[in-house]
Formats: sequence, C-alpha cells, structure tokens
Amino acid sequence: MRSIIYYVREFLRPEWLKKFFFVKTAPLVTPPYFKGYPTRTEKECTGCFTCMMICPAPEAIAVLRRKERWEPEVYPGHCIRCGLCVEACPEGVLSSGRVMEVAGRDATAFWHSYHLEVDESLCMRCGNCCVACPINRQIDPRLAGTGTSTSDDVIMRVKGGRVQILHEEKCTGCKTCETQCPSGAMRVARMVEGVQFLDGVGS
Amino acid sequence: MKKTVDVSIPLGPMHPCWKEPVRLKCETAGERVLHTEVELGYMKKGIERIMRGRPWQEVMFLAERVCGICSVVHNMVFIEAMEGISDIAVPPRAAYLRVVANELDRIASHLIANFSYCYTIEHETLAMYLLNTRETVLDNLERLTGSRINTAYMIPGGVRFDLLPEDAAVMLADLAKVEDELKRYVRIFETGPLIGLRSRGIGCMSRVDAIRAHTVGPTARASGVEDCDLRLRHPTYRALDFEQVTRTEGDNFARVMVRFQEVFQSIDLIRRCVDTLPAGRIRGGGLCRAGEISYSGEAPRGELTYTIKTDDFGRVVDIAIRTPSIMNIEACAHYMVADAASIADVTSTFISSDPCIACNER
Repeated sequence: MRSIIYYVREFLRPEWLKKFFFVKTAPLVTPPYFKGYPTRTEKECTGCFTCMMICPAPEAIAVLRRKERWEPEVYPGHCIRCGLCVEACPEGVLSSGRVMEVAGRDATAFWHSYHLEVDESLCMRCGNCCVACPINRQIDPRLAGTGTSTSDDVIMRVKGGRVQILHEEKCTGCKTCETQCPSGAMRVARMVEGVQFLDGVGS
Repeated sequence: MKKTVDVSIPLGPMHPCWKEPVRLKCETAGERVLHTEVELGYMKKGIERIMRGRPWQEVMFLAERVCGICSVVHNMVFIEAMEGISDIAVPPRAAYLRVVANELDRIASHLIANFSYCYTIEHETLAMYLLNTRETVLDNLERLTGSRINTAYMIPGGVRFDLLPEDAAVMLADLAKVEDELKRYVRIFETGPLIGLRSRGIGCMSRVDAIRAHTVGPTARASGVEDCDLRLRHPTYRALDFEQVTRTEGDNFARVMVRFQEVFQSIDLIRRCVDTLPAGRIRGGGLCRAGEISYSGEAPRGELTYTIKTDDFGRVVDIAIRTPSIMNIEACAHYMVADAASIADVTSTFISSDPCIACNER
C-alpha cells in the first residue's frame, strides 16, 4: 500500500504528466565549445612543426609539403581531439571549437625546447633518422635526393660510421626521426612549459 | 592470503549488472552466501608500461584514460605529482579552477555510481533520473574544458582554459537546477519503501572491518571512518573549509547516501570557488625536472596514489598507479557480502561499493 501511494505521488504530479505527454527531445546540436577534430583556417602554415611536436597521439598530425606550401594534415582515426596543436600553433593555422579564441583571449602559449639522443646500443647506423628529418631535407637538398650528405649544417648525419648530432638547436621536435627509427634508438626529449603572457610581459 | 572457494554461483565476468568484466565466485548454502572471492584480470591495458619514456604532455592523456569515469582526478593527481617533483608553484586562480573541474567530475562520477546502484536494485526510474542529471553536469564540464570525459584540463603550473564570468553564471544556474532535482531524488531514495528493503541493513561493514580491510573513499566514510578524505590535506580544499562527510550505518544505504551528500557538498564547493575566484594568471610556467615522488589525491572512489620517477628532461622513467577500488572490492568480497542472506544482495552490495575495474587493472 505504501509503495502504491509512493508511486502515485511520484507520477501524478502535474509537472511529470505534462512532461510525459508534451515534452519533445531537443534536437541534437553541437555546442560551440565542443572540441572537434582540428580544421585548417585560411592562414598559411609556415612549416614550424610545433603541432607535430606537441601532439600526444602517435601519428595523428603531419605537416606535409604540397605544391610549394606546407599543409597540416590531421588523421581523425589517430587524433584524440585534445586541442593542444591548436593551442600551440603560433600562426593560428588550426582551429577546433573555441580553443583558438580562448587561447588568444587568455594569451596562453607553450614554450618548448628539445634534446636529441641516440642509444648507441640500439642504433644500427641506417641513417633513416637523418634522411627523414624534414629540417635536414630543407638544409641540404642533396640529402633529400640521394640520402647522403657531407654538409655540417644539418641537425644530424651519419659521420664516421655513427649518427652524430651536429646542431641540436635546429631541431623542432617533430618526432619524425623517432617514428622512422626501426630499432627505437632515436629519442627526442620534448620539454614543454605552459605559459601565459599578461600585460605584454612573459612569465 | 586467498581463501579457497568452492564455487557454486559464479557472478560474471559477463553480468547484466556489471559495467565492466569482473568475476565474483560465491560459495553458497542454499541462498546464504558463505564465502566470496573476486577474480580480476579481464581487461588489463598495460597503461603504466606505455607511459614510460614519455613526457608529461603525453602521459597526461594516458593517465586520464586509466579511468573513464573519474578521468579528471587522474589528470590532477599526475600533474600535481609532477609539480611536486619539479617544485612548480600553481597560481591561485588555476588552483581554484582545478577544484571546479575536479568537483564537477566528482559529481558526475557519484551520480553514475548511484545510477548503477539504483539500476542494480531495479529502480530504473530513479536510475534514469540520475543519469539525466549527470548530463547537465557533463555539459558544464564541456563548457569549461571543451570535452565531456577526457578533458586534459590541467598542465604543470596551471590549467589550460580560463573560466569566463558569463560561463560561471551559467554553470551556477545549472548547478542550482541540479541541486533542486537531486533534493527530490534523495527524498525518493530515502523514503522509498522498496529501496529501503533492498538497501537498509544489507551489506553491513563495521568501522573496525573497514579499517582492517583498508577501505578508502565513500565506502570507508559510510562505515564511520574519520579523517580518511585526502581533500582535508589538500591546500586549496583547506582554504575552502572542506569538511568530510561521514555516516555510521555502513550498509548499502549509507554508501549511496554518502555519495549523495558529497554531491551537495561538491556543488557548495564549486559555488564557493566561483564566488572567491582570485584574479590573476592561470599558468605560471615551470619545467619538469628529474626526481621521484609518491603523491596521493582523493578520487571519487578514494585515495589515488601516483609513484613517479622522472629523468632530467621531465620524461617519466618509472610509474606506478594505485587506484582506490582495489581495496574496496576486496573489502566488499570479504566483509560486506560475507554471510549475505541472499544471492541477489551480492550484486547490489558489490555495486554499492562503486567498483571501477578499469582503474584496478589499468
């Protein structure tokens, strides 16, 4: 008896009855603050590879050279929609939800520096890292064409039978060498720091 | 030591009441349950292994994928552990925003835990009411962070996005609505006679047993264990005058009610946070350095510990995660359902201890 009273009291409320007969499910709309897959804006990519550097998912974004211009390409199957690439891009090439506007409003950014290291016990001196490195290929076009280089301006190259890091400061942390290394010997340490600029003064 | 159980009733690994695969092996005499043993290991992911050798910006995302229900707190505890290693100070505004995100996540987690319990005792109406309320909370989490579940909101030295006053106003209005609705749902839960029959006096665990079994979180607080909420030791929560919720009954009813009370408390905390939100920056910067730390925080299910070792470049060399549910599940099997009068109470008691199998097996 008590439970009958309980159910009657619960379901004979005018509010509930009104809802039961007349309520309609609101149509599903994507809210403006939803972080979707990053899309390209009309701004031109400069090929700085910051998005590839900060991306936490394996091979979710690649900056490709197409018809004399750089284009960031997002692979939706790999992308986890974290929005870090949108926040990190200095040119505003990528956009996802309102991440770009919010990052611009709060004047937030990431500072990054890199350290390259080769595990000599794993490295088999194939030189894949040196050939795959997009910065190397820009510095020495011969490396891109033939796979060999004698230039000392490149980030790294096989010299004296082993991979030598020549210019660590030119690295952009894009992880291409790390993904191309067949034995997992190449490691890029990416040290990232979240900062905010208030009143034009950096932290 | 593991007890040998002569299994007469296996519950799981696939069971309509379980949200995740786990097996309860029950030895019964008629309806009465004599012994119970838990069998885990159906969904090992090996996340700790994947985390090794990665910098914080990658581990952060892996950490919140340990658990789908309480992902924000995994992010928070990992980031605060990294900050502890590297002596990074957090700006006060960021610390308050972290509490807002964490408490929204706690509300969502507690509501889904209570949904599961109501669903298990076949009160589907109340269960669906609670799930509907949870959507409002998740919408607010999405407004703040851009995602509903895996938010990745905190970074070393701050948070990623600021909270605008107009968003805060919408959030407070939504939370007031949630509070109103929840008051009615709690009244339904407290006064429902059938709910009372399935919940009051079922699955009792005394305070002594709770301490002996090392239970944590709402499960321990429902059995009257004092001073077991790690938020009491967190500096931001201290500044917000946080007080622990404790009940003394130790039965299923108390465990669900503790969670309901904590939801109200979380709403209060968010209000206090938004009202006293300090102005200033939301990111202070700071590089992660080498070190070793063991850091604990209060997840919705209890104490969550991250033991981390990093190298000079801030990469994680070694990591071990201890999640709260493991103790609660064992306590459930050995103390709560010991000598249960009915097999049907085993499922509801197990769900009332809010087991998160994904957390346990990482």
